[in-house]
Amino acid sequence: MSLDNLHVDALVVGGGIAGMQSALDLGDQGFQVALVECEPSIGGKMITLSKVFPTLDCCSCITTPKMSAVAHHPNIKLFTYCDVQSVQEADGGYRVNLVQKPRYVDASKCTGCRECEYACPITVPSPFDRGLGAYRTIRVPFSTAVPQVAVLDMDYCILCGKCEKVCAAKAVDFNQQPEPFEIQASTLVVASGFELTPLGAKKEYGGGKLRNVIDPLMMERFLAPTGPYGRVLRPGDGKEPTSIAYVQCAGSRDTTLGIEYCSRVCCMYAIKQAMLISGALPLAEITIYYMDIRTFGKGYEQFYQNAQAMGVEFIRGKVASIREDDDQNPVVKVELTEEGRTIERTHDLVVLSLGMVPVPGSNTALNLPLGSDKFIAIPAPNASPCATAHPGIFVTGAAMGPMDIVDSIVTASSAAAAASAYIREHKKEAVYA
Amino acid sequence: MPENTPNPESPAPVEPEEIRVGVYTCHCGGNISHVVQCERVAKMVGKLANVAVSRTDPSFCSDAGQAIIEQDIKELGINRVVIGACAPSLHEQTFRGAVTRAGLNPYLYHHVGLREQDSWVHASDEEGATEKAMRLMAAGVAKARLLDPLDPIRLGAEKQALVIGGGVAGLRAALDIARQGIRVTLVEKSPFLGGRMAQLESIFPTDEKPRQLLHDLIQAVTAQVGITIFTQAEVTGVSGYVGNFSIQVTQHARGVSPEMAEALTAACTQETPDPFNYSLTRRKVIYQPYPGCYPAAPAVDWQHYDGQPIQVNGKSIVLQDDALVHELIAGAIVLATGFDPYEPRQGEYGYGELSQVITLPQLIRHMALVKNGETLTWNGHPVRSAAIIHCVGSRELDGVHEPQADGQVNNYCSRVCCTASLHTALEMRQRFPRLNIYELYQDIRAYGRGHEEIYRHTQNAAVRFVRYHGDDGPKVIAAPKGDPYPVLVQVKDYLTYGEEIEIPVDLVVLAVGMMPRQVDDLVNMLKISRGADRFLLEAHPKLRPVEMAVRGIILAGTAQGPMNIQESLAAASAAAAKAASLLSLGKVELPPFVARVDPAKCNGNGACVTACLEEGAIALQTFVENGVEVQRAVVTPANCTGCGACVGACPNRAIDVQAWTLAQYDAMVDAIAMDWPELVEVEK
Ligand SMILES: Cc1cc2nc3c(=O)[nH]c(=O)nc-3n(C[C@H](O)[C@H](O)[C@H](O)COP(=O)(O)OP(=O)(O)OC[C@H]3O[C@@H](n4cnc5c(N)ncnc54)[C@H](O)[C@@H]3O)c2cc1C
Ligand SMILES: Cc1cc2nc3c(=O)[nH]c(=O)nc-3n(C[C@H](O)[C@H](O)[C@H](O)COP(=O)(O)OP(=O)(O)OC[C@H]3O[C@@H](n4cnc5c(N)ncnc54)[C@H](O)[C@@H]3O)c2cc1C
Ligand code: SF4
Ligand code: SF4
Ligand code: SF4
Repeated sequence: MSLDNLHVDALVVGGGIAGMQSALDLGDQGFQVALVECEPSIGGKMITLSKVFPTLDCCSCITTPKMSAVAHHPNIKLFTYCDVQSVQEADGGYRVNLVQKPRYVDASKCTGCRECEYACPITVPSPFDRGLGAYRTIRVPFSTAVPQVAVLDMDYCILCGKCEKVCAAKAVDFNQQPEPFEIQASTLVVASGFELTPLGAKKEYGGGKLRNVIDPLMMERFLAPTGPYGRVLRPGDGKEPTSIAYVQCAGSRDTTLGIEYCSRVCCMYAIKQAMLISGALPLAEITIYYMDIRTFGKGYEQFYQNAQAMGVEFIRGKVASIREDDDQNPVVKVELTEEGRTIERTHDLVVLSLGMVPVPGSNTALNLPLGSDKFIAIPAPNASPCATAHPGIFVTGAAMGPMDIVDSIVTASSAAAAASAYIREHKKEAVYA
Repeated sequence: MPENTPNPESPAPVEPEEIRVGVYTCHCGGNISHVVQCERVAKMVGKLANVAVSRTDPSFCSDAGQAIIEQDIKELGINRVVIGACAPSLHEQTFRGAVTRAGLNPYLYHHVGLREQDSWVHASDEEGATEKAMRLMAAGVAKARLLDPLDPIRLGAEKQALVIGGGVAGLRAALDIARQGIRVTLVEKSPFLGGRMAQLESIFPTDEKPRQLLHDLIQAVTAQVGITIFTQAEVTGVSGYVGNFSIQVTQHARGVSPEMAEALTAACTQETPDPFNYSLTRRKVIYQPYPGCYPAAPAVDWQHYDGQPIQVNGKSIVLQDDALVHELIAGAIVLATGFDPYEPRQGEYGYGELSQVITLPQLIRHMALVKNGETLTWNGHPVRSAAIIHCVGSRELDGVHEPQADGQVNNYCSRVCCTASLHTALEMRQRFPRLNIYELYQDIRAYGRGHEEIYRHTQNAAVRFVRYHGDDGPKVIAAPKGDPYPVLVQVKDYLTYGEEIEIPVDLVVLAVGMMPRQVDDLVNMLKISRGADRFLLEAHPKLRPVEMAVRGIILAGTAQGPMNIQESLAAASAAAAKAASLLSLGKVELPPFVARVDPAKCNGNGACVTACLEEGAIALQTFVENGVEVQRAVVTPANCTGCGACVGACPNRAIDVQAWTLAQYDAMVDAIAMDWPELVEVEK
């Protein structure tokens, strides 16, 4: 990868499914695109999921080919492990200052053979597995990562030099420094995605301290064939759970947390996970505590009906609190709103159906106006659904508010259409010569 | 009709090279390997003749997986590739790309569906599934040995698109396509643009005026170079294929000239129920739906005009529909035909039987007719209490609700009606502060950005919520004589723990769902599919969410399923992006899986021509052979869909579908039917 100053038609920030799709749509039309991702691999949240609703396609079957298509596209230049430092208007477009974070591995030399990984003695929790699994201090981020280039985490490295020794390509470089560089782009597409509401956000639900109360992305890793255990278990003691509960709207539609909106995907992912768990643990009882089930998308209501038919228990109720009994079992106190009484039920494992919030700090450099929900503001949703307050900067995917994969892909193409029209008009291309 | 292109020559005979097959059995991230023992399959297949390498991987479709295949082609001289994986519809293209990158002809690769055809359907029989996988893979290898290199059919693509439907989605799609330098023809059935959005008064989540927004959009469309608009027009014929559709558009006359419009409208006395107001009012058969409509000139409602003369200035004028027929070419077609509100059955919640039962779209129109400051009345009586019933014609349950005409219930959620109901309730609260408002719902689906706020405002605006269960919905009955209110709504309310309640009301509003606009003619002409919900069906919800399976046909807006305006706009722009990707390069490639005639075997009997289901795909042509005139079948590849109807009809085995030849089928059948001991023998 060259870090020369680069001029592109469009710069896409974020390499999740939305950013990848925008980049592909622009590249397919012949525009030069730079795709910038802050993590060492593209793929976003989607690549960590198990199977995806509503079709229950295996997630990597949808994501990895897109990642590959991005990597091989002649018009797309990929910049991973790069941070956006600042964005300025310049020459009728934008000047974007970036920094290539040090991988401590020369990307042009690394072959992705993983010998360094096998040699490294230091093990750290893997964020890809949401801390449930571990990987080495130097590693290819995950088996389907794009690019297949190792990255070394200096925070944990003991500088023993084993990786350097085994690397046949002589790619390990402990002296790498952050490298600033600049890209000029006519237009920007922001696809910085989302984060989950923190597991500890709600004190009533144990504040993140109960061992067998987990977040839904952990459950995705339990269910994923590439996951750390290849099965569903309790993180507290490794026991196979027989009673699993979902608490809906945990961290959404909650004025006490300042998150007043509906996160729109959590009903569906909870139902999906319940179905997948029923497959993996046929004897497990699964309960979903909810206020409203919001299966509004195409084919989604049918999905909900199927889950009911499979025996997933839906209980309309407000979960007031969760505590732990002596065996680390979560005990859920729930107000049954259809019966007017409050009960306590003990489960083996509780999944909080956490909501979506913007990635903290992802907008600092972009400096775009935000909505009251802190996602990037769209001043005219009923006229230009992907246009931000700055002309020439468009937004797509979960960066514009919670949305699922289908909606992320549709808005990604929509942002690409808006961006490409902007580029053409900007270049004053005589299109009807 | 496109010119007859000559039959593609039989591929040049390949140098008799050594056939080296690479076989790749994919775990499909567990989808296959949880049932099929992939390693065993790979080992067995590895022993078949010509197989040079046989491997497994957690996911060959990943970049690293594709790299393995590419490397084998380059380093091991693999010249036939067989991949056992998911469905070809998912990743055949992905692997063709990998094979091409490695320098091999992309059609020297065969895809075996081990997921849909094996592991998913035999999940409870690991041994059987593994044996089946071996047989399927063996058949794949047998076919691969006989694969020939092929070239895709390359066609010029017209840099022109057709958009059908001039609602908000069609308008946006037309604008965004034209902005990419592609000419657009927009065809709208009604005399005016804007679709259903024009019938709304204030839209969530922004409280904007929809007709103002439409006005701005239409202004942008009419100011944009490269867009031709036909109103009162319909597509009446389509032929051709992606890149080159020939289209016939029939356009009705507006019926009144600009000079005469005013006088004729004034003189016209024939009236008909006004669909703009959902038949709450009547209008003349020469009409404008609303002030500020586009085009501004009035038009004749030919469906209802009775043909009687109209008297103007002593002259007697009979309006004439001199329809025009336009022929045009388009490389891609965008379908933006929109929705109709669900029309409740006679007697459904009292609809059609009790005059106090109306639909939400009707209520919105009715409120628009009530002047600001006036009280809300219905049938001349003041409305003191109104109940909005959610999910009418949506979220229906088999065995509980009466099926629609096609035998299916509407089991989908219409997604717009919850927020539309809440938004309308808020407006009622503001305009008619003393009105009692009830919302009878199952789940409130205020999912979108800003929707939950509307829900919260409604809760704080003294709107009363009643929660019913879908299998035990509300009943609407006439109140006994002498009751203060004309109608009673009986419902079990689960917000008060299942209490049976009776709500006395003056008006019942049915929050009806969305049904697709009736487009049978287009479905037949374009040979496209609908889903079980009858909406037009996308090719794949994630990989190709706005494209149809037929290439070059793209979806925009509510023709595909319920959406609000913002979602319709996003889908329309996405459709524009797809049209631009398809057409901006000026050429398209079609797969070469078309019929091929072996002229040496063809005796010109024409059975194939009779059997062919497509127009212009195969025809007999006269050739001179050894001084004798003979007839031989000739295929036009661009029109051939490769369905194989001709192959079965030919008594001489003279026709093959490329890459799916009879010889290849024979080999596959032999391999599949291989004796099990033989297979086991190989396996050892
Ligand atoms: C538990 C769970 C299960 C789910 N299951 C499903 C499902 O089954 N089906 C479905 O349709 N949806 C599902 N979803 C929703 C799905 O995850 C999202 O719709 C999708 O990931 C959104 O994609 P995105 O590209 O917008 O965002 P992301 O996936 O968040 O990608 C954003 C990318 O941008 C990068 N980035 C962020 N900030 C910057 C920056 N400043 N500079 C550079 N790069 C940056 C991030 O590193 C990331 O790679 C699920 C969500 C959850 C939480
Ligand atoms: C009661 C109600 C309230 C709503 N309120 C809101 C709201 O507040 N906010 C919001 O965002 N959304 C709202 N919506 C949704 C909104 O109306 C739709 O999202 C929007 O109108 C969809 O636009 P469209 O272009 O897809 O379809 P349509 O508006 O239906 O347009 C389709 C067009 O195609 C034309 N057509 C159909 N068939 C053919 C053919 N064969 N040939 C040529 N032309 C054809 C039609 O004449 C029509 O002009 C509401 C919907 C309802 C029912
Ligand atoms: S030098 Fe660091 S990264 Fe390399 S092997 Fe040692 S601990 Fe691991
Ligand atoms: S999608 Fe469901 S769980 Fe998530 S916030 Fe909305 S209503 Fe709650
Ligand atoms: S949006 Fe609401 S009213 Fe409409 S079908 Fe869905 S749940 Fe029912």
